[in-house]
Amino acid sequence: MDNVRSFCIIAHIDHGKSTLADRLIQFCGGVEERDFRDQILDSMDIERERGITIKSNTVTLSYTAKNGETYQLNLIDTPGHVDFSHEVRRSLMSCEGALLLVDASQGVEAQTVANMYLAIEHNLELVPVINKIDLPAADVERVKEEIEEDLGLDAEHAILCSAKKGIGIEGVLEAIVARLPAPTGDPKAPLQALIFDAQYDPYRGAVLLVRVMQGTLRPGQRLVLMHTEIEHELEEVGLLQLKKVKVPKLEAGSVGYVIAGIRSVSDINVGDTITDADNPAEKPLPGYKEAKPVVFSSVYPMSTEEYPELVKALEKLKLNDAALTYEKDSSAALGFGFRCGFLGLLHLEVVQERLRREYDLSLILSAPSVRYRVTTTDGNTTWVDNPSYFPNPAEIERTEEPFIKAAVMMPERYVGAVMELCRERRGEKTTFTYLAVGRVELTSEMPLAEVVFDFNDRLKSTTQGYGSFDYEMLDYRDTDLVKVDILVNAEPVDALSQLVHRDRARMRALHYCERLEDTIPRQQFKIAIQGAIGGEIVARKTINAYRKDVTAKCYGGDISRKRKLLEKQKKGKKRMKMVGSVEIPQSAFVAVLKTDREK
Amino acid sequence: MIIREVKPAGLYIHVPFCSSVCPYCDFAVTIAGADRRSAYLDALDREVAGSADHGLRFDTVYFGGGTPSSLAPDQLARILATINARLDLAPDATRHIEINPDDVSRAAAAAWRELDFTFASLGVQSFSDEVLGFLGRRHGAADARRAAGTLLEAGFTTVSVDLIFGLPGQTADDWRRQLETVLELGVHHLSCYQLTIHDGTVFGRRHALGELRELDEDGQADLYLMTHEILGGAGWEGYEVSNFAAGADHRSRHNRKYWDHTPYLGLGPSAHSFVGRRRWWNQRKSRLWTAAIEEDRSPIEGRETLSDAELFFEAVMLGLRTADGIDRDALQRRFGDEVAAFDEPAVERLAESGHLLVDGARIRPSSKGMAVAEGLVRTVLP
Ligand SMILES: Nc1nc2c(ncn2[C@@H]2O[C@H](COP(=O)(O)OP(=O)(O)OP(=O)(O)O)[C@@H](O)[C@H]2O)c(=O)[nH]1
Ligand code: SF4
Ligand SMILES: [Mg+2]
Repeated sequence: MDNVRSFCIIAHIDHGKSTLADRLIQFCGGVEERDFRDQILDSMDIERERGITIKSNTVTLSYTAKNGETYQLNLIDTPGHVDFSHEVRRSLMSCEGALLLVDASQGVEAQTVANMYLAIEHNLELVPVINKIDLPAADVERVKEEIEEDLGLDAEHAILCSAKKGIGIEGVLEAIVARLPAPTGDPKAPLQALIFDAQYDPYRGAVLLVRVMQGTLRPGQRLVLMHTEIEHELEEVGLLQLKKVKVPKLEAGSVGYVIAGIRSVSDINVGDTITDADNPAEKPLPGYKEAKPVVFSSVYPMSTEEYPELVKALEKLKLNDAALTYEKDSSAALGFGFRCGFLGLLHLEVVQERLRREYDLSLILSAPSVRYRVTTTDGNTTWVDNPSYFPNPAEIERTEEPFIKAAVMMPERYVGAVMELCRERRGEKTTFTYLAVGRVELTSEMPLAEVVFDFNDRLKSTTQGYGSFDYEMLDYRDTDLVKVDILVNAEPVDALSQLVHRDRARMRALHYCERLEDTIPRQQFKIAIQGAIGGEIVARKTINAYRKDVTAKCYGGDISRKRKLLEKQKKGKKRMKMVGSVEIPQSAFVAVLKTDREK
Repeated sequence: MIIREVKPAGLYIHVPFCSSVCPYCDFAVTIAGADRRSAYLDALDREVAGSADHGLRFDTVYFGGGTPSSLAPDQLARILATINARLDLAPDATRHIEINPDDVSRAAAAAWRELDFTFASLGVQSFSDEVLGFLGRRHGAADARRAAGTLLEAGFTTVSVDLIFGLPGQTADDWRRQLETVLELGVHHLSCYQLTIHDGTVFGRRHALGELRELDEDGQADLYLMTHEILGGAGWEGYEVSNFAAGADHRSRHNRKYWDHTPYLGLGPSAHSFVGRRRWWNQRKSRLWTAAIEEDRSPIEGRETLSDAELFFEAVMLGLRTADGIDRDALQRRFGDEVAAFDEPAVERLAESGHLLVDGARIRPSSKGMAVAEGLVRTVLP
């Protein structure tokens, strides 16, 4: 066990964690040259497409150090994006140390600081690593100062490297073995293994990724998951070496996988402790703090028949994405679905993408919402993230909404336009500073609700793609919240209701009405689309009746073709959502809810 | 044993020849010389000889195309003789022929009457020279009027004209003049078709290039409803989406068979047949149809057997295109409650909006309903 080192690589987004992981894996011969590809640990399609890490990934390497000893290294690469900080949190609990990576040209950034505090909270030993020293803009001295001043770490022994060019890699490895502690924990003590992640394998059931804190895992053992008290026989344990490699046992200090024929996904909680049924540990490990979702959206299957599949998909996805929360929800127009909570907009997008790709589901998502704090006249305070549960306005004393601090980086020439955008989005205390000649960072305190509604799209178009944006949560502030309802021929379309600041309500209502006007096909009668606040109609659009279709000739040779065409159209009718007497195609919901672009 | 169908059937003969192909046409037509025509006649003889009569007795025969009037009277006579020799054609069967104004002369009209044709459909398309030019027709407006007069004089029981409406830029006034001409001429029947632009036609290409735009929907609707108004005002009835008659006697007895599942047999390229719940159709291309027959192969290109659900769907789809509409009780007796089900709230809605006239079990489309006939079936079925 003295020759085991478990560590994670933490940093701000894009500072080169996954690239450094590549070099460490290659240096240790963890991958055949022909199987190698850049950011090899980013194995999901979405990760590769977006060039970012979304899930933490573990790999066990074998490193023979300069002192001649061979070490087993358990490396965990983590995501840098703030939406996935829950992944970082879970990784930290399996480690004794962390490499805190800092980009030599960017220096210390928001998530550098945030992740460092997380690591300190978990009593991890930190090794600062300055990466990308090959860049012409690298300024190692300045970064060292920042490490000392902003992080309070000793920068003198910071390791310098370039993950991309493969410079300084051995130095990193030597620091790992020399400066990070070996795990403690008695292999003979009662078993305590922390489940830090899980996947679902259709053939073998759940595959649990664990860190053994004490005791030993051996196939044949009877295991208990301590929170759900479910027993299973241990079938197989092994190491994660890019592929799963079966081993006879996992001892205290090891990181590896466990297969125990667990098919019922709901029995598993990531963060739970595994123990031995015959020699159980006294109590479970502390586990994880529940993720606190900040963005909410209701998810409905495109066709109501797919609801059972959505249930299964969410269960399985939750196994692999512990930060996702969901509970039952339903809509008159869209049927049964789930109210899901996400750690941010990117998280929402990723979950939606994964449901589509990994589970082949087509979904309709309601407009993202934030969680409001509502105090009613009777003095009670409730949290509301679903417009359906918004109290009667007459009974509301006070509403508060979450504020964020948005940081936008962009070339100087866009400052004016972006300031305007922030003002429009109720931004406060908007200021900017020069990062370098021609490059500006603008910060603004804004309601999160304004950001979840197409802010990113707008920013991208305003800055022609040159602006990037990041945010951190600040606090809750008083707001003036109203519920906007959309009515189609006087029937409310519940799935389109939204909570919006009063100043923005009319615009939002109009925007939705316009969208529906564009996407609801004309029907045999006139359709009135209205946006309402309380009882008051604030926006209105009309879809005129269609009066003529192409009534081509219909004789002997035309009938069969016509029947087939119309039968197909009738099938489409089954997929229509009925709101009162109006048929609304799902595509209308998708269009309205997805490309939330306000003019 | 052959079981005789009770309802007298219809016989359709497709004559695929035209002297030129109109730029909007997507029918099975060909421009062909004398030898192709004689090859066609030989093949038609063989098709008649080779096809089963399905125990049918025919009381209508319809020569359609293409341009049947481009065949010489003796060629038409030959076809009729072949049919009579082999099929049970009622002596008083209505004989219906499609005629191109170009082919009309006194002598020709007399010859067609001689062959007992009583229903003539004249392919006028428009009574405006400008429009005719646009449609690539070779006849002029005056020719069209003259042709109609000649047919009336020759003593056809029903003279019908075909018109196309909804041309790019067509105004209400223009269409009104067309309809007034129909009434002035004293013809008995009008088939009017909304211009539809099909891929693979000259118009289709021009449309794709953006040179041609259909009249917008509101314009189409205005023209169509006006047709009902003007002709209705003159005592005519719009008895099917595209067909208007100056009294029930002038309705097309043959075409009705397509709309109420009466059996029919179709001969010639692209012709469709329907008996019981089976439908089949010939090779669409003249060349393939001829070749198949010459090589003793079946000229049939495809077939389908309709399930109850499909028959019911068709019955509603077709019925709601006709002024007589559908009888829900009769359909439920024929197909059972399970198959013959309706979306009752939708029916009510359409009655309220004035698209359907509901009278007990019978549902009939109004003129407003006929204008959107394609959408009705989808709406009224669950
Ligand atoms: N020039 C240079 N580029 C580097 C270096 N290390 C990484 N990069 C580049 O930086 C970009 C981001 O690298 P990643 O390894 O994906 O960064 P990451 O920290 O894993 O990013 P997230 O997982 O999304 O937080 C890529 O384009 C890399 O090629 C380096 O040492 N020098
Ligand atoms: S005459 Fe009729 S069938 Fe012949 S090409 Fe013209 S439109 Fe088509
Ligand atoms: Mg990464």
